[in-house]
Amino acid sequence: MKKKAISKAKWMQSIITFTCVLFVSVVGFQSTAMADETCMSPYMAKIVGQEDYVYVWTLGVEGMGDGQDKLVTLSVNPEADTYGKIVNVLSVGGRNEAHHSGLTDDRRYLFAGGLDSNKIFIFDVHTNPGKPTLHKVITDFVEKTGGMVGPHTMYALPGRIMVTALSNNVDHGGRTGMAEFTNEGDFIAAHWNPTDEDLRGAEKVGNAADGYGYDIRALPRRNVMITSSFTGWSNYMMDFGQMLGDAEAMKRFGNTVVVWDLHTRKPKKVFEVPGAPLEIRCAWGSNNNYCFTTTALTSKIWLIYEDEAGEWQAKDVGEIGDPSKVPLPVDISITADDKGLWVQTFLDGKTRFFDISDPFAPKQTYEHEIGSQVNMISQSWDGKRAYFTSSLLGSWDKTGEADEQYFKLFTWNGKKLSHEFTVDFYELKLGRAHQMRFGAYSLYSQKPNSSGVMLSQTK
Amino acid sequence: MTFSQRHIAYVINAVILFGVAGIVLTSENSHSSAETKTRVEESKHLYGPGDVKEGYDSPDYTTKTLDLQKRIGKEADLLQFVSNPPLGLPDVPVPEDNPVTKEKVSLGRKLFFDRRLSINDTFSCAICHIPEQGFTNNEIQTAVGVEGRSGKRNAPMIYNVAYLEIIFHDGRESTLEQQVWAPFLARNEMANPSIGYVINKIKAIPEYKGLFEQAFHGRGPTMETVGMALSAYQRTLNSADSPFDRWHFGKQEDAVSEQVKRGYELFNGKATCNACHLIHDDYALFTDNQLHNTGLGYLASMGVTTKTTRVQLAPGVYADLDNEVIKSVSRPKENDVGRYEVTQNPNDRWKFRTPTLRNVALTAPYMHDGSLHTLRQVMEFYNQGGVPNEVLSPLIKPLGLTDQEMDDVVAFMMSLTGSNVGTLVADAFAAPIGDISKDDPNWAHEKNIK
Repeated sequence: MKKKAISKAKWMQSIITFTCVLFVSVVGFQSTAMADETCMSPYMAKIVGQEDYVYVWTLGVEGMGDGQDKLVTLSVNPEADTYGKIVNVLSVGGRNEAHHSGLTDDRRYLFAGGLDSNKIFIFDVHTNPGKPTLHKVITDFVEKTGGMVGPHTMYALPGRIMVTALSNNVDHGGRTGMAEFTNEGDFIAAHWNPTDEDLRGAEKVGNAADGYGYDIRALPRRNVMITSSFTGWSNYMMDFGQMLGDAEAMKRFGNTVVVWDLHTRKPKKVFEVPGAPLEIRCAWGSNNNYCFTTTALTSKIWLIYEDEAGEWQAKDVGEIGDPSKVPLPVDISITADDKGLWVQTFLDGKTRFFDISDPFAPKQTYEHEIGSQVNMISQSWDGKRAYFTSSLLGSWDKTGEADEQYFKLFTWNGKKLSHEFTVDFYELKLGRAHQMRFGAYSLYSQKPNSSGVMLSQTK
Repeated sequence: MTFSQRHIAYVINAVILFGVAGIVLTSENSHSSAETKTRVEESKHLYGPGDVKEGYDSPDYTTKTLDLQKRIGKEADLLQFVSNPPLGLPDVPVPEDNPVTKEKVSLGRKLFFDRRLSINDTFSCAICHIPEQGFTNNEIQTAVGVEGRSGKRNAPMIYNVAYLEIIFHDGRESTLEQQVWAPFLARNEMANPSIGYVINKIKAIPEYKGLFEQAFHGRGPTMETVGMALSAYQRTLNSADSPFDRWHFGKQEDAVSEQVKRGYELFNGKATCNACHLIHDDYALFTDNQLHNTGLGYLASMGVTTKTTRVQLAPGVYADLDNEVIKSVSRPKENDVGRYEVTQNPNDRWKFRTPTLRNVALTAPYMHDGSLHTLRQVMEFYNQGGVPNEVLSPLIKPLGLTDQEMDDVVAFMMSLTGSNVGTLVADAFAAPIGDISKDDPNWAHEKNIK
């Protein structure tokens, strides 16, 4: 018995040592690796080198082409014969209000949500990265979650996907939560956002605890998960112009950021961040315990950070364009070295680069008009390539000639963007180009879960 | 009345209504203080949006958000409101061929809250007619349907629809049984492609197995039985016995304040509201079941647009947006000429149905297009004589009311909230919300979706 106990202790010691080594390798990898977009989950496998494909989750347009949502695969490796071309189009049925998508931690599956239909389409992107297939469709998101509507961010956690929602099935307003699914798409648990009536143990720091939801990011090294807040179904599906003229509707936007305990999934602090804080982007540096978000309506940059006392705080640290003109900052992207932040402003079609070397004092150093409207950006890990798409929401995009729908690649030399190519999604009758995710053969060159390379990248 | 005042009114109503319950609880001495507290907490959910926006115009706005997990239902005997309508309402008209039964009401309520009865499984009747929001939607001016398609009118509240002789804002329908099919099939509402599509879907959803047969003597789901079931439920939503009713019809002198009494005199006198919102000797429906042109529709169709629009961005934060910017993100807005669209009679331009005023405290925003946010704004609109146009109703003319008099009329309207609102809303909360499950029909549930 004694001998067995000693050997068990040694075994445990080995495990701990192994885990520590893995942890160090993770931190080291995150700060030095030359691959992948910069805004993914730290739990996710990384692409080594050049990405081969970009998957564009695309909204079908009534009366155009086959009129339904689709996953469009573009070839983006300059070495490929198909460079700059669409190599696959996979229609999924319906106009689901295709919006955001996210890869599983092992990067074998892409979860793509429909904000309207509440469907989540799970694509197999590993069997043939150049030709994704539809693996499964989650149709019962609302039923399983107990009433959440509008699956938004699909965020990789170990072996599972956290899905934030935007709305609910009772009043189609903004009160909502998030839900966990396995990588196979099986429901695990629902977590409702804190409200005044039930803060769920959280501290209401400011004046707001609205229960709204939008994006999610995690900082595993600080055991922290952060969520932001947008608006409910009635607003995100409504004609944008109509909504701007509807005084009641304009009161229904989120004004909160919530800091959660990552492990227990319990909310810890509810911060007041007025004007619809959308995307959350966390720094990668091992000592950079902060994340950025921008507010769509009030055009501010907010820093969510851990202070010297270990307390999380939220601070308004800068403005984007002229807030009085409501440029509508939408997607943002942090550079891998934590020194730069790309911010797109939808209404003027510009991307703006902010120097965030001092995260408390972002300074805009560059701007460039990408198109008549712009929303999403995905940049390579080395920051040299930046991909842009145009669509915000089916009913919010511009109308008439200003409704350009595109996928564009620019290169970035640290001072200016240079246009490489454009794919016109309307000319090809595809629809509205929204979120992008990268794919690469290098991810699957050896069997996943069986090689040291994959293991070191994922764990 | 400001938005804030409206929410205060919600609370006042809640206090009045729950106060009655509280007296009962005290006299019966059968409930603990903890239970009483729980019931008070639950009652907060019944009289307005749980996403409370009172004071949002101030930078000091503080949320008082209610939690959806605490929105708890309690089934009620709805048939009592048909067989014995609350004080202030006449006998409920019930078609001979569609008597209201428990089975039909239960089935109709289930259908009413079933989001699967739309082209993409996302839209029920209750998505526009939200129980705690006066069975309308307090959060948007005009309705938004499947895929975000714009409706041009405010979702009408459905309390006391049993008494309507003409249905919809333009009065184009005559019975509830027929009416229900319009939203089912409207492209900008539930967008079902056909009647058969709806019927077949109901037949394929396991939960409905046997329910129609039980309610309709063996008849399954048909165009007729679906309409009958939904109508049966809606015919139970009769609400009155308000403070006004208890004072006016019940002769309970202290049921309303002196201001309400002054408002009542103005309502029937200088303000001439009763010319359309009728009060009879022994009951009051507050509608003449007619259509009138007040000028509001004319203004929307013919008015000159401004250069900027004031838009709220956050609590206490506003911007004046150039209308060209707004135009760049706007789809063409559908014009609305009201009753004319039904009759093609130019004399019917911009006529809309007189709505009842019962429970009007709960049904903001107001008018056919939701363009007026408070009852005070409504009073100011009528006080100025509506908007002149060549077919303006002769009943609409400047009233010359003082601020105090307008406040008095508003106070009167605030006294029209029925005593059974909480019961009806709590019952609605108890209804199952139909969302698609793996047992339901959908192409994605087939074994090989590839």
